[in-house]
Amino acid sequence: MKSIPIPKSEQGVTAVKQAAVGSKVKAIRNHSLVSRIGSKSRWISLIYRTFVYVILIDLAFVFLYPFIYMVATSLKHPVDLMDFTIKWIPTSLAWENFYYGMKGLQFMTHFNNSALIAVLSVIGQVLSCSFIAYGFARIKFPGREFLFFMCMFTMIIPPQTLIVPLFMQYKTMGWLDSVLPLIVPSFFGNGLRGALFIFIFRQLFRGLPWELEDAARVDGCGSFKVYWKIILPLTPPAIVVTTLLSLVWHWNDFFEPSIYLTSEEKFTLPMMLPRLYQSLDTLTGSSFEVFSLPVVMAATFMALLPMLFVYFFLQRYFIQGVERSGLVE
Amino acid sequence: MSGRRVGLERKKMLAGYVYIAPWAIGFALFMCYPLIYSLWLSFHEVVGVGNFELESVGWDNFNKAFVLDTQFIPLFISVIQDAVINTPLILVFSLFIAILLNHNIRGRAFFRAAFFLPVLIGSGLAMQQLLYAGVGKDTLVNGIGVPDEVFLYMGPTFSQIVFDMLSRLTIIFWKTGVQILLFLAGLQGVSVSLYESARCDGATEWEMFWKITLPLMTPIILLNLVYTCVDSFTDINNRMMIYIKDTAFTNIQMGYASGMGWIYFMFIFILLILVFVSTRRLVVYTGEK
Repeated sequence: MKSIPIPKSEQGVTAVKQAAVGSKVKAIRNHSLVSRIGSKSRWISLIYRTFVYVILIDLAFVFLYPFIYMVATSLKHPVDLMDFTIKWIPTSLAWENFYYGMKGLQFMTHFNNSALIAVLSVIGQVLSCSFIAYGFARIKFPGREFLFFMCMFTMIIPPQTLIVPLFMQYKTMGWLDSVLPLIVPSFFGNGLRGALFIFIFRQLFRGLPWELEDAARVDGCGSFKVYWKIILPLTPPAIVVTTLLSLVWHWNDFFEPSIYLTSEEKFTLPMMLPRLYQSLDTLTGSSFEVFSLPVVMAATFMALLPMLFVYFFLQRYFIQGVERSGLVE
Repeated sequence: MSGRRVGLERKKMLAGYVYIAPWAIGFALFMCYPLIYSLWLSFHEVVGVGNFELESVGWDNFNKAFVLDTQFIPLFISVIQDAVINTPLILVFSLFIAILLNHNIRGRAFFRAAFFLPVLIGSGLAMQQLLYAGVGKDTLVNGIGVPDEVFLYMGPTFSQIVFDMLSRLTIIFWKTGVQILLFLAGLQGVSVSLYESARCDGATEWEMFWKITLPLMTPIILLNLVYTCVDSFTDINNRMMIYIKDTAFTNIQMGYASGMGWIYFMFIFILLILVFVSTRRLVVYTGEK
């Protein structure tokens, strides 16, 4: 276009017109080119999609394998277990494995212990972490960045560095062999990976519009009321994500419970799994470990079942929560 | 007027401290104090078990860890080895799976839910039971559908190596749940218009991955890197954790256990600082940050 002389404006206009027409023609040509290649690229995309599906299904099998194995094995009779031709489907379903498994775990007692610890910790972490995160996200005060850095820093402290002093501390406080050491830190924004949950809530709170808060303040809300009535109800994704992760981690945790809890009737459900062989031996009177594998798998499945149940109901909100919430921006 | 405004500002600032207060109390009680006490303990040793009588031993505990104890250094190295091998694999796999899941495919919801499932087992006692039962070993072999004859051809030594690698890979796969989710969250955040404009300029999918997806994922790769590192160093099946726990509570050498805990902590600390410093130029941040 630069080569067009300026005084002859008419020429310029026609040149522009020609250029425009030319590009249109080109576009049309391109279009037909695309449709001609279309069938070829459709093949390529079909092959690509098949490839994606094959990999995903293969991988999904790897990820689901422990569950499939657990269920299949837990329903086998000892005879089926020794038979190499039977891989997945037992000849007859041995429901009594679950009966022995539950009995060996003393299911109800230890389920109650686990549920108490996990549920209270989750409540503690959701409330305290969101409260603290509100302070970090929405209120400016001196030293905020430093304190937040310290908060994130606690994430990398390995539990074994703290376990000895904490043990002594709880001993002098008389908290040993109770659920207090497992629950109380959760109410103070600590507990298992509390810093991570503070981070999650802060990320979400930061993204919320300020106008909401300003409007509420004009109407006379104090900052606590703003947090409790406006900010927190707007972040169900963070609440769901925190609830599920915190629940699963507390349920499966055994490092801390195995140190703080000493009497067996206070043990959590997963803590009973290594003792299963013992209690099964006394139950059945035999000590043939191989034959009790189905019972162990049944018990393991039962120990995980509450989490599977919760995940089944929450998973849709959970995955949406992670994806649509700007969690990692 | 201005005086009152300053008052309000100060009131708001104070409110900030009120919100942080629970964390500060928790931090002081359950983090900071034990951490310092642990450092102090590592220069001491418990002599009376009943009431934790302490005796100062100077640098003995550290000397013991690095020189006298024949188990500590090999354990330490094996733990580091595990982390060095596992972390990159976890990152690559989780990014790969997240990209596959980000396609517009049928059964997306199912796949997404399925890939998170192993997180429910965690790495706790339930997972241990499964590993005792040998679940880790045959998963990938069954999953990919490798026929047994292949192993027969390889000979016993080589097939054992392949088998070990596969079982290791399986366990690594099961650890990718949280990372996949974080990557998915990041991938959802990349605006479609970037890809559209790149496509208009004639970029191929391959080029778009390297020029758009990967640079935009770098902050999340860093996040996942830190998460994976911390996760692998604090995993309860980590033999270091078990060793420290046994030293403290079975052998009642609490001072020595604290010392090892501190060596371990310092190592992680320095490692993460190195990670942050070395990746500073590589991480791409968009928007105002």
